[in-house]
Amino acid sequence: MIIAERKPLNEIMDMLQGVSRLLVLGCRGCVAICSAGGDKEVGILASAIRLGCKNHGLSMEIDTDTYIRQCDPEYLEPLKELGGRYDAVLSMACGVGVNFVADRCENVRVLPALNTSFYGANLSSGEWKEMCAGCGACVLHLTGGLCPVARCAKRLSNGPCGGSVGGRCEIDPEVSCVWFAIHARMQKMGKADDLMNIMPIRDWRTAGHGGPRSRKREDLLS
Amino acid sequence: MTAKSNLEHILAFGQFAVTGELGPPKNGDMEVVRKKARILKGHVDAVNITDCQTAIVRMSSLTAGLIALSEGVEPVMQMTCRDRNRIAIQAEALGASALGIKNLLCLTGDHQKFGNHPQSKGVFDMDSIQLLTMMSQMRNERRFQCGEEIKGPAPSFFLGAAANPFADPFEFRPKRLAKKVAAGAKFVQTQIIYNVDKFAKFMEMVRDLGLDEKVYILAGVTPPKSLGMARYMKNYVPGLDVTDEVIARMRDAKDQKQEGIQIAVDIIRQVREIPGVKGVHIMAIEWEEAVPEIVKLAGLGPRPESQGVEPRLVSKEAIELAVSGAVEQTRASAAQEMEKIKKELQVSTELLAKEKDRAAQRIAVLEKELQEAREMVAEKKSETAILVAELNEAKNLLKNAAAALAAAPVQAQLAGSGAAPAPQIVASGQEAVLSPREQMALNALKQGLSALRKAMNLTEDQFEAIRQFLEAQFVLYLGAPMSVQTAQSIAQPVSAAVMPAPQPVAESLQAAPCVTAEPQKPLEKIETAVAASKSAAGPATGPAAGPVKGLPPCPEGLTPEEWRNKWIIRLVAKASVCLQRGDGAGAKTIFEQVLAIDPQNLRAKSGLEQISKGLTPKPVETVKEVVQEASKAVFEPQPQKAEPVPAPVLEPVKEVVKPEALVQKIEEKKAEPHRPAPVVQAAVQSLPKETVSLADRAGQVSKDMFLEQCSASVRPVTIGDGPKAITVGGANTLPFHLFEGDMPYPPKVAFDVLDVQPDDWPDVLSRHYSDVFADSAKWAQKCVKEYGAEAICLSLVSTDPNGMNRPAADAVKTVKSVLDAVDVPLVLWGCGNAEKDTETLREVTSHLEGRRVCIAPLTDANYRSLGATALGMNLPVVAATPIDVNLAKQLNILLENLGLPLENVLMDPSIGAVGYGMEYTYSVMERIRLAALTQQDAKLAVPFICNIGREVWKAKETKIPSSDSLGDQERRGILMEAITASALLLAGGDLLIMRHPMAVELTNVLIQGMM
Repeated sequence: MIIAERKPLNEIMDMLQGVSRLLVLGCRGCVAICSAGGDKEVGILASAIRLGCKNHGLSMEIDTDTYIRQCDPEYLEPLKELGGRYDAVLSMACGVGVNFVADRCENVRVLPALNTSFYGANLSSGEWKEMCAGCGACVLHLTGGLCPVARCAKRLSNGPCGGSVGGRCEIDPEVSCVWFAIHARMQKMGKADDLMNIMPIRDWRTAGHGGPRSRKREDLLS
Repeated sequence: MTAKSNLEHILAFGQFAVTGELGPPKNGDMEVVRKKARILKGHVDAVNITDCQTAIVRMSSLTAGLIALSEGVEPVMQMTCRDRNRIAIQAEALGASALGIKNLLCLTGDHQKFGNHPQSKGVFDMDSIQLLTMMSQMRNERRFQCGEEIKGPAPSFFLGAAANPFADPFEFRPKRLAKKVAAGAKFVQTQIIYNVDKFAKFMEMVRDLGLDEKVYILAGVTPPKSLGMARYMKNYVPGLDVTDEVIARMRDAKDQKQEGIQIAVDIIRQVREIPGVKGVHIMAIEWEEAVPEIVKLAGLGPRPESQGVEPRLVSKEAIELAVSGAVEQTRASAAQEMEKIKKELQVSTELLAKEKDRAAQRIAVLEKELQEAREMVAEKKSETAILVAELNEAKNLLKNAAAALAAAPVQAQLAGSGAAPAPQIVASGQEAVLSPREQMALNALKQGLSALRKAMNLTEDQFEAIRQFLEAQFVLYLGAPMSVQTAQSIAQPVSAAVMPAPQPVAESLQAAPCVTAEPQKPLEKIETAVAASKSAAGPATGPAAGPVKGLPPCPEGLTPEEWRNKWIIRLVAKASVCLQRGDGAGAKTIFEQVLAIDPQNLRAKSGLEQISKGLTPKPVETVKEVVQEASKAVFEPQPQKAEPVPAPVLEPVKEVVKPEALVQKIEEKKAEPHRPAPVVQAAVQSLPKETVSLADRAGQVSKDMFLEQCSASVRPVTIGDGPKAITVGGANTLPFHLFEGDMPYPPKVAFDVLDVQPDDWPDVLSRHYSDVFADSAKWAQKCVKEYGAEAICLSLVSTDPNGMNRPAADAVKTVKSVLDAVDVPLVLWGCGNAEKDTETLREVTSHLEGRRVCIAPLTDANYRSLGATALGMNLPVVAATPIDVNLAKQLNILLENLGLPLENVLMDPSIGAVGYGMEYTYSVMERIRLAALTQQDAKLAVPFICNIGREVWKAKETKIPSSDSLGDQERRGILMEAITASALLLAGGDLLIMRHPMAVELTNVLIQGMM
C-alpha cells in the first residue's frame, strides 16, 4: 500500500493563493485506507481551508468529491468536464493520482494535498512503516523476506554494518536494524550460511535510476 | 603491477605494524595536513586519511593523502560509498593510483545523518564489501565494474577494510569479516578497542575461521583525550564498547591526557599478545601529538624506515630545492668525513712516531741488558773457575783421606738405606758401620766442608746439596757396588732444588746434570728479544724450550716427581702416535728418550720390543671418573664420618672442623663480611694423575678406531710480558686429546677485576673481594697474591655510557694503577659500547708504556679503529662476535685485511652459562675448532677467550639464597662457574675469565689433571 500524509495546512493555503473556486478531490484507494485522502479526510480538509480563509479574510467557494481511484482513466472521465469550472483541483490522492489528473485533464489545474511517503504496511491503527522500495529487483528470497533496500539506512546488500547495536540502527534507536532481523530470521530458518554469499553490486536501473519506469503486458493491451 | 606499499612490506615481513590516522581539515589549508603528517612521520608505517569522517565535509581524502605523501608519509586513503557512486569511486581510484597512493581502505561510510549535511542524499550505490570486489576486479582482472577492460595502468591497491568486533550480532562479526576477506581485503583495521576481553573472543572466532592466516588484522586503539570524550564515546557512539574501568581510570586520573595515553598503551600491550593481531591502528582523533608517545611507551618505536614512499606529483621548484638540499648535505658530510680522516691520519702519524721512539728506547735498553748479561757471564765464569779449583782441592783432600784408609771391605748394607732421600739417615747409617779411621776421615771432610761453606757464603740448602754430593762421592770411593746409584739418586733432587733460582754457586756443582746449560739461556733470550723488537714483527718469544736432554724444567704446581711421570706419559703417548702414523723410527727415538729418563719404564721397553707387533692394553679408570672423584673430594669430604678434615688444606685451618660444620660456618661467616671463609678455600685436592696411556686403556680396540689426526694447529697467542707472560692456543688436536697430538700451552684462567664496586654481585662472591672493591689495583693484587692469578681481566664497566659513563681519563688512571700493582698479563675489557670502547681503549693504550696488554672487545662496529691501534702498538686483541661461526670468521678476515696478524687475535664467541644457552656456545665453539683443525681453516685457527664469570654470576641461580631445595648458595655458584668453565674447556676454551676464587681453583685443578 502507498502511504501518504497530508501536507501542512499552511503549505496548502500558500498553494491556494488567488484561488476562489476549489474542488477538494479524494480517492478511495490506498490513501483512504491509510486515512490520508478518503471521504473523511476530504471533509476535514475542506472545513480547515474554509476556516483558514475566514482567518485571512478571504472568500473561497469550495466543493468536495471523492473518486473510487484517481489512477485509472475511467474514473477521471467526469473530471475532464467538471474540472474546468474550478480555479484549482486539490487532489488528496497519492502522487500517482495527481500526475494522472495532470496528464489526463488538460484544462484542470491540479494541486497535491498530500505528501506521498512510501510503500508500507499498517502496523496498527495510525502507524505505518515502509516495507518496499519498489526497486524493481526483489531480493527478498535471499533475505528471509525482509527488504534491505527499503529498510536499511544505507541500503546495504551485505549487512549488518558496524552500527548495529542490540537490533537497533545507528541512525536512530527507534529504527530497527533490518540486517539484524534478517540474520536472526535466517538463523531461525537454518539458512544463516546463505548470508556468507556476497550479494553482488546491484543494478539500480530497475529502481528508477535507469529512467522513468513503465510496464506493458501484450496480452492485456487493447 | 606497482610496487608494494610500505605497509604491505612491513606486514608481509611479519613485523608488528603501526598505522595512524589523519583527519583532513574543514577548510582548504594544506599546512594543517602537512603539520599533522610531520607529527606522525617516523612513528607509524602508514596513515589513514579519513574520507569526510562522520559525514562532515572536509578536504577530500585523495588530496589530503597526496599532501601527506609529499611529506614522506604513506597514506591509507579511505574511500566511502556514501558520497560517490561507482563512477566517481573508480575515477578517484584511477587518479589516486596515478599519483602514487598505494593503500585503499574500503568503507561503506558513516550515514549522512550524523554529519553536517543530514539532508543530503546518501548515494550508497554499493556497500563496503561490494566496493572491495570492485577494487579487486580492477586490480586483478584489470576491468571496470561494468566489465570493460582497463587499457593501460590499472589501480592496484593494497586493499583494506574495517571490522567492528563490538557490533551485533556478535557471532556474525567474524563471518562478515570473512566476507570482506573473500571480497579481497588484505588488511583489516578494527573499531576502537576498550573491551579487550570481548576482542579476544572475537579473535578466537576469527582464528577458528582461519582468517588470521588470510588477512593482516590491526587492532584499533584510541587514547581518550578527556573524561568527557570517554563518556561521549560510551553513551553516544553506536558500536563502541567503552568499559567502566576506562571511565573510572579517566575520572580518577590527575592528568587525564596522560592517563588516556597510558590506557592506549595498556591496550596495545594486551592486544599484542592476542594471536592473529598483526599490528595496531592508533586513532588519536584530533590529537596526533599523542601518537609518538604512545608508540614509544608501547615499545613499538622506532619504526623501520619507510620504503617507496615518494610523491609522484612534485613541482619543479620543489625538485630543485630537494636536489640542492641533497647536494649541500652530501658536501657537508664529505667535508666532515675528510676532516675526520685528516685527524685520524695525524693521530696515526703521531702514534707511529711515538712507537718508533719507544722501539728505539727498548732496543737501547735491551742492548744494555745484553752487555750487562755478557759481563755477568764472564764474571761468573771466573768465579766458577775459582770454585772448581776449590772443589778439586776438597776432592784431593777426600782422596787422601780415602787413601789413608785401609782397603778394608765396606758393608754393602749402605745401599739400602742410601736409596732413601734423607741424608741424615745415610750419615747415621754410615757412622754405625764405619771404622774409626774412616770416621776420622769423614770428620775431616765435614770440617773442610763447613770451612768451604763459610768461605763461599753458601745457604743451608746449597751447603746441604754439596754435602750430600760429597758424602756420596765418599761412599763411591769406598767402593760399594750400589753406591753409584745412590749418588745419582741424591744428585737428582739437588739439581732440581737449585735450578729454579740460578745462583752463582749452582755452577760449582759441575757434576750435577742439567746445570751446565743454564748460563747460556738468558743471553739467548735477550738476543732473540732484541732481534724481534728490531724487526718490530712480534712479541718476545714465549717461554724458551726446555733443555735438549732429558726432562724439561718442572712447571709450577707440580713436584719434580709428578712432572717426571707426566713427561714420561706424554712421551709414551707421542711415541704411540708415531707408531700409529707408521713412523717406527720416530717412535723408537722417543721411547729411547723415555728410557733415558726412566730406565725402568716397562712401557717404553715393551714399546721398543713391540714396535712391529701388537700392543698389550690394560683397563684403567677414565678421566671422567677421576674428575668425579675430585669434585667429590672437594665438596663431599667423607660427609658421614666424624673424623677431622684430612691434610690437603691450602690455608691453615686452626681448628679441626667437620664437613657439616663447615657449611654451618659459611652461614656464620656471612654475618662477618671481612673474615675469609675457610670452607671455600679449604678443600681442593688435585686430581689423581693419569699414568696409563690411552693405548693401554683402550684394550683390544685398535688405534685407528679411536685416533683422529689433525692436520693443522691453532695459533699460539701471547699476552703480557716478561717471565709472567702467558701463551695460549698452539694445540694441534682437540682439547686434551693428548693421545692424538700436542697441546703445548695449557688453558689459563684470568681473574675478573672491575673498575668500580659491582652492585649486582651476590654476597657469596663479593665477600671475597669486598675489602678491595674500592681499589682495582689492590683487587688485582689480591687475586695474584692470595689466589695465585696468572692473569687479570680488568673490566672497564664504569665507562658504559648507559651507566656511570666515566670518561676515558678515569679509565687510564685505573689501568695505570693496575699495571703498576701487578706484573701478570692483563686483558682490558671495555664496556661493550662500540663507540665508547674505541674512545676509552684508544686513550688507555697510549699510556701502556710498552706493556703488552690484550684489548677487548673488538666488534664489527669498531674493529677498524681499535684494530689500527692494536696494529700500531702490537697488542693482542679479542675479536668478539655474536655466537655464529660465519660472523666469527668474517671478523677475523676483516682484522687480517686490516693488517693485524691473527697471531695477535683471540676469539670471543659469546658464551652462555650452563643453563643459559651453553649448548649453543659449545656447538659453535666446537664447529669453529673442528674447522680450524680438520679443515685447515686458517682464519678460525685462533684461541678462544671465554668471559665466564660475567655470564655465570648474573644468572639467577647464583643469586637465590641458600635453601633446602636448592642447597647452599655459594656452593651452587661455584659449581655453576666451574662446570661452565669445564664444559667450555672441553669445547676449546683457551683463556677463561672467571670470578670466584674457588671456582678458579677447581678449574685449574681440572686443567692440570687433564694435561
